[in-house]
Amino acid sequence: MADKKKAWHRLRDKKKTEKDLSPVLHVTGSLKEYRQELVSKEVESLRELGRVSSSFGSVFQETQDFQERLQDFEQTFSGIDQVSGQFVQVKEEIAQSVGQVQDRVGDLKDSSLEVESHFGEMRATFDDFQAAVKEIKSCTGKIISIAEQTNILALNASIEAAKAGEQGKGFAVVAVEVKRLSDQIKTLVGEVNRSISDVEHGTERLSDSIGNSQEALGQSIGKVNETYEMFDKITEAAEGASTVQAGISSVIGESRAELQELCAFFDRSREQYQKVVGHISRASALGTTKSAMFEDIDNMLSQILPLIQE
Amino acid sequence: MRQFFGTNQNGDLKEAVRGLQNPQMIMLISNQGQFEGHVKKLEELFPKVPSIGCIGMGYSSRMAERGVSVIAFQGVSAVANVLEQASLVPVKYIGRLKQDVEAVNGSQKDTICIDFCSGNDACVLTTIHSVLKHRNISLVGGTGDAGMVSANGQIYQDAVAYALVRNPNGKVKAYKENIYRQMGNYRFIASKTDKEKYILGELNGRSARQVYQEILQVSEQQILTQTFKNPFGKLSGNDICIVSIKEVNGNALACFRQVNDSDVLVMLELDDFRKVVKRTIRQIKEDFSRVSAVFSVNCLFRYKLFCENHYMQEYLGEMGTLGNHAGFVGYGEHYNNQFVNQSMTCVVFE
Repeated sequence: MADKKKAWHRLRDKKKTEKDLSPVLHVTGSLKEYRQELVSKEVESLRELGRVSSSFGSVFQETQDFQERLQDFEQTFSGIDQVSGQFVQVKEEIAQSVGQVQDRVGDLKDSSLEVESHFGEMRATFDDFQAAVKEIKSCTGKIISIAEQTNILALNASIEAAKAGEQGKGFAVVAVEVKRLSDQIKTLVGEVNRSISDVEHGTERLSDSIGNSQEALGQSIGKVNETYEMFDKITEAAEGASTVQAGISSVIGESRAELQELCAFFDRSREQYQKVVGHISRASALGTTKSAMFEDIDNMLSQILPLIQE
Repeated sequence: MRQFFGTNQNGDLKEAVRGLQNPQMIMLISNQGQFEGHVKKLEELFPKVPSIGCIGMGYSSRMAERGVSVIAFQGVSAVANVLEQASLVPVKYIGRLKQDVEAVNGSQKDTICIDFCSGNDACVLTTIHSVLKHRNISLVGGTGDAGMVSANGQIYQDAVAYALVRNPNGKVKAYKENIYRQMGNYRFIASKTDKEKYILGELNGRSARQVYQEILQVSEQQILTQTFKNPFGKLSGNDICIVSIKEVNGNALACFRQVNDSDVLVMLELDDFRKVVKRTIRQIKEDFSRVSAVFSVNCLFRYKLFCENHYMQEYLGEMGTLGNHAGFVGYGEHYNNQFVNQSMTCVVFE
């Protein structure tokens, strides 16, 4: 009986304690719920932080890739500068070659002028020659005339010799001989005239050739002069290339300076990115320490109810 | 201070403690069959000497897989006690710990708390740490077998036996060693966890089992032993606490310690453990000009891994280069307020 009474009292006390402690139980229950909410929010925060970190990682990578491209640009600029620098050398080589060619052309011009002068002499000589041939022709004409007159004389002499009879026979022989000689002279002079005619034809052709050659030479000298002037223009143009190269170098220099500014900007940005990444890492690490605290809170809270129940 | 280690394969406690004189604190590592007897006998041999005990395997220069091992400290001041109902309300007995901390009157520099636990480790450590943190006293310990511990000659089921040890002639420092490194850039947020059953439901919103299998390309059967190579690591600031995987539980994974919602986990892979051990030893030698003793707790999985790699004896030899080294193989290791798996924790006495 006493035991039953004791058990009843214990039960009654327990129920009373539970009733008295119900606000405490309520508080611990609420704390557990708050903790649960905190944990959910923490999970979300950590996920967001993870996404931020990932996005930032991508941005960081893109920035690095871009910076590498910029550095490639720098190399390209160096290449352009180097190549444009070769302009100077090329220009100098052109100037040198042009100079050499101009010298050769100059020599050619001198030679042509000399030839022209020789042609001139040839023409003068030829004219003299033509004059001489004319003279010869005139002489041969006179010789023919004399030969014909001699023939007539010889004929007349033959007639007078015939009139003289026997005493004129010797004179007739001489007259015949003289006629024969003048006939030979006429034949020879005819041959000379034919030769002179050939020479005249040849000299005419030669004269034409000389004329044509002189004309051609004159044109050639004209072309040489033009070529000489053209080389001057080439040299002028090569000088112009120098100016262009200087312009290119200057632009490249400016672009390089701009590129360096950009690279410096990216270096500064990268420093900032790294700081942000550092902050994200630290925030992440802090987040991980929170989960240990949640576990501790849970471990402590979980003991309250059993304690109270005891 | 001095550390004594004695062992007897046949479980003869008297033989095991031969040569031990005037200890200030004793740790008993026994076997399930003889634990009760050993606890009583120890109290008879060394009455009133603070002692804690558990079931497990001890070691010093060699492994003592069977029988009994005794580790004792001399030249220290110590108290030993117990928090009961460890699985439910260890905080109910917090007054004992508070009292003992006051009695030892130590601090981070010279005092260590060593604990042998029967289970519910995380809750126990939270409770103990809530007192120790006020003096920054470090803690090193582990879980024994069979759910039993002893303190000062009494056996307790469902309890944590602890000893507070103060080194009057030098400093003490606790260490944790991790032979796993982070694998790749995998980072997960745990959810759908069950802290009672140590269940991990989801990683980043996907089935934990599936995620684990996909990353490691293993079958469900292979998961059972994969933890030796690829356990999880729980991030806590800059520290990583290893979480061993026990088995598959539907689409979830059951672990050897609790995982909570919002825990950030990473995938781990086995590091070069020989190098890691050397690094730990190097660090200890840098921190201590002279080492009196090292007491360590090595995880059972580490013991198995080392044995498979024929490294266990070499490991004990390496640790022996520090000086007097002894410890036991545990089922879970304690380091301050962290309950960890597959780790080594130790305390070094100057």
